[in-house]
Amino acid sequence: MNIKVVTYLVYLGISIGLTVWVARTLHKSGRAFLVDAFHQNEALADSVNHLLVVGFYLINLGYVTLALKTEDPLGNAGESIEALSRKVGLVLLVLGGMHFFNLFVFNKLRTRSHVGMAPPPVEPNAFAYAAAPEASFAPVEPRAPGTPTRRKTS
Amino acid sequence: MRSLTVLYDPTCSLCCKAAAWVSDQEKYLPVNLVAAGSPAARAAFPTIDHEATRNQLTVIGDGGEVYYDERGWLMVLWALRKYRAMAIRFSQPGMLPAAKRFVLWVSRHRETLRGFVP
Repeated sequence: MNIKVVTYLVYLGISIGLTVWVARTLHKSGRAFLVDAFHQNEALADSVNHLLVVGFYLINLGYVTLALKTEDPLGNAGESIEALSRKVGLVLLVLGGMHFFNLFVFNKLRTRSHVGMAPPPVEPNAFAYAAAPEASFAPVEPRAPGTPTRRKTS
Repeated sequence: MRSLTVLYDPTCSLCCKAAAWVSDQEKYLPVNLVAAGSPAARAAFPTIDHEATRNQLTVIGDGGEVYYDERGWLMVLWALRKYRAMAIRFSQPGMLPAAKRFVLWVSRHRETLRGFVP
């Protein structure tokens, strides 16, 4: 085996190892977020979690394999380590970017699902005890949560 | 909070357009739009100052909570599906004074502004 093949194998070993580690971390720690985001629906949370991790693997392993080839001269061990460090550094940055993007998605899902249950945002200026306003006026019925959002055309 | 009643100025076209817009939106809870100072409003809320409600937007919760001006607007936005997140953002202590200035400015210039609203 020449030095190039060894460099490639070491690169693949490190990159795949890192990808697996980050994906497992995400899978383990993201679950609590998703369970909360989907209102304790654990089956749905697990399914979304799994799909997110699959996407994470596909993108990262895709990048790792595409970025395998190097044009750098690999004459000796020093040059090989330089090339390896540049490649692994890029993989780490891509993994970091993907990781933060995933956190962003988790958090977005979670906050969005909580908006519907948020309490009134401001304190009242005063109190006036009303004589049953519902009885006096025909209320506009709100849509039930989960119904498709379609604007009224009337 | 199970419903909101909005007392809007029926003599101001900008207010009427805003009321029509609100009634068109999808809501989390019913929003009753009632002309300020009308007999219906006086009958429903005998304890509040109805002359004052002609000049300031007044929103009343089903528990008798009264919100004026910017708080009223934030409560209305909070009742709308598409704008609740926005209402929460503008209710933060850092944003509330700006929201208040904006609402009062629009309210003061509502006669001038009505020409700009289609």
